[in-house]
Amino acid sequence: MIRLLRSEYRKVVTTKLWWGMLLGAVAFAAIAVIAQIATNGIRNNPAGPLTNPETQRSILSSAAAGYVFAIVVGIIMITTEFRHFTSRPTFLLEPRRGRVIVAKLLVAGGLGIVYGLACVAAAVAITVPWLAAKGVTLGWASNGLIASMLGILFVVAIYAVVGIGVGVLFRNQIAAVISALVFLFVIEPLIAAIPGVKEAYPYFPAAAAMALTGTMRDQQVLLAQWQGGLLLFGYGLLFALLGWILTLSRDIP
Amino acid sequence: MADESGRIVVSGVSKTFGEVHAVTDLSFTVEPGAVTGFLGPNGAGKTTTLRMVLGLAKPDAGTAVINGRPYVKLSDPGRTVGAVLESTSFHPGRSARNHLRVYAAAAGVPDRRVGEVLELVGLTPAAKYAVRGFSMGMRQRLSLATAMLGDPRVLILDEPANGLDPEGIVWLRGLLRHFARNEGRTVLVSSHVLSEVEQTVDSVVIIARGRLVHEGTLDELRGAGSVTVVVDSPTPDKLMQALAPLGVKATPAAGSTIHVSGTTTAAVGHAAWQANVELHGLRQEQSSLESVFLELTDDRTTAPGTAGSSQPEPPSPSATPPA
Repeated sequence: MIRLLRSEYRKVVTTKLWWGMLLGAVAFAAIAVIAQIATNGIRNNPAGPLTNPETQRSILSSAAAGYVFAIVVGIIMITTEFRHFTSRPTFLLEPRRGRVIVAKLLVAGGLGIVYGLACVAAAVAITVPWLAAKGVTLGWASNGLIASMLGILFVVAIYAVVGIGVGVLFRNQIAAVISALVFLFVIEPLIAAIPGVKEAYPYFPAAAAMALTGTMRDQQVLLAQWQGGLLLFGYGLLFALLGWILTLSRDIP
Repeated sequence: MADESGRIVVSGVSKTFGEVHAVTDLSFTVEPGAVTGFLGPNGAGKTTTLRMVLGLAKPDAGTAVINGRPYVKLSDPGRTVGAVLESTSFHPGRSARNHLRVYAAAAGVPDRRVGEVLELVGLTPAAKYAVRGFSMGMRQRLSLATAMLGDPRVLILDEPANGLDPEGIVWLRGLLRHFARNEGRTVLVSSHVLSEVEQTVDSVVIIARGRLVHEGTLDELRGAGSVTVVVDSPTPDKLMQALAPLGVKATPAAGSTIHVSGTTTAAVGHAAWQANVELHGLRQEQSSLESVFLELTDDRTTAPGTAGSSQPEPPSPSATPPA
């Protein structure tokens, strides 16, 4: 297993993908945080004053926006093997295919944590001085900000793991990435908006992530923090299992 | 039962893709210490067979074993078998050295082995460049280097000559022969062109439309060819009449020449003498290795239930391996 982890780690660090996507994740996180602070108190922003614990949590946890890049990295990590046929040497050197998938899931999850740390760092670097300039101090312990930020790491790592499962399912890189983006940016927001199906929204991954990181979303009812975390973990497990089973049952291209 | 023989045994393997029978009840054995050619036209099922031998595809029926075990049960596959499959398998943005480092880690061999295999295939000067800029020949060399990382006893190469320049083909030929004859490794090389591997291989396994059509040494393959009697006469029409009672297949060729198959020069000469037909030439032509290969893999001769010409000699292509 150590061999495979080393091999998968080397795959990640020997192409430009990982840091290109890292830059994207940090940029997304930064934009989300900046937008939260900049729009505070104007227009229809439901967030309360910057001194509110929920507002502070919402600002920092919006850095979880980097999860989009984490799922794409997970998808590309596996679909690139099928696209360039590196799946062949990979599975020739380890024909016990389940182990290859476990190694990939672990490396993807680790990479997700790195992405999450970078997003959190960006959020803190922006929020602390900006709010200080406005005369607001962040209540790290009292406002549950630490828990929120641990939640971000978890969310981003889970999305990277889910990406592996999605990639195995589709195999085709373009189809997998587009399907994932459509789900995140079209289907989930639609579910949240349409009366009647709206009640199911709290059980979708995005809502579970918001529950875990303590993000507010309009008047949307979310699960409790622990429930959100558990549900998200369940999604990660589901897609990990899906990837594992499909890799074992299908021929390698 | 596992062994260290390096022998590849394919027994009764079949694989269907939807309605297409890619491989049907295929059995053959590949011995160590020799280069074996795995031949057949494009689409004959060579790659599918190799993928089943290598555990990338599951056979619908039958087994394929290396060292007495299915590939997926080998305890250290990277050190037992090295394979180069037809499409080159590289990430275009990764350098040659990094590509090998990725797979050295997976094979559990030390990183210094990367430098050794780069040297072996002559890619050391290009090692730091991304594979994106590599020629087809360089990619083939890098594929071979990847297969050699674990210093395997068994080498399986699918169309390795594709994209190699003439110099590269000579180099590969020497390397494969050295591996097999001097080092006693098992080398299985597929190709759709016999002439490409004719000078490299010791024995051949020939398949067509997913079925075995010949298994044996190169010399046995030569013997499987048909013999044509070429006869010249100033009166070809009279000669054709004279040959009619023999019940052989006589085909007028260019000018005054007639090609007669399924008989001997003696029989043709005797028939002409009896009929008082003047002959200017009478000789026997053995079909070339390439044409034997084409005959064997031709759809008409391999189609089940279609008997070839009925001559008892030379031996007709058999659908079963020689005992």
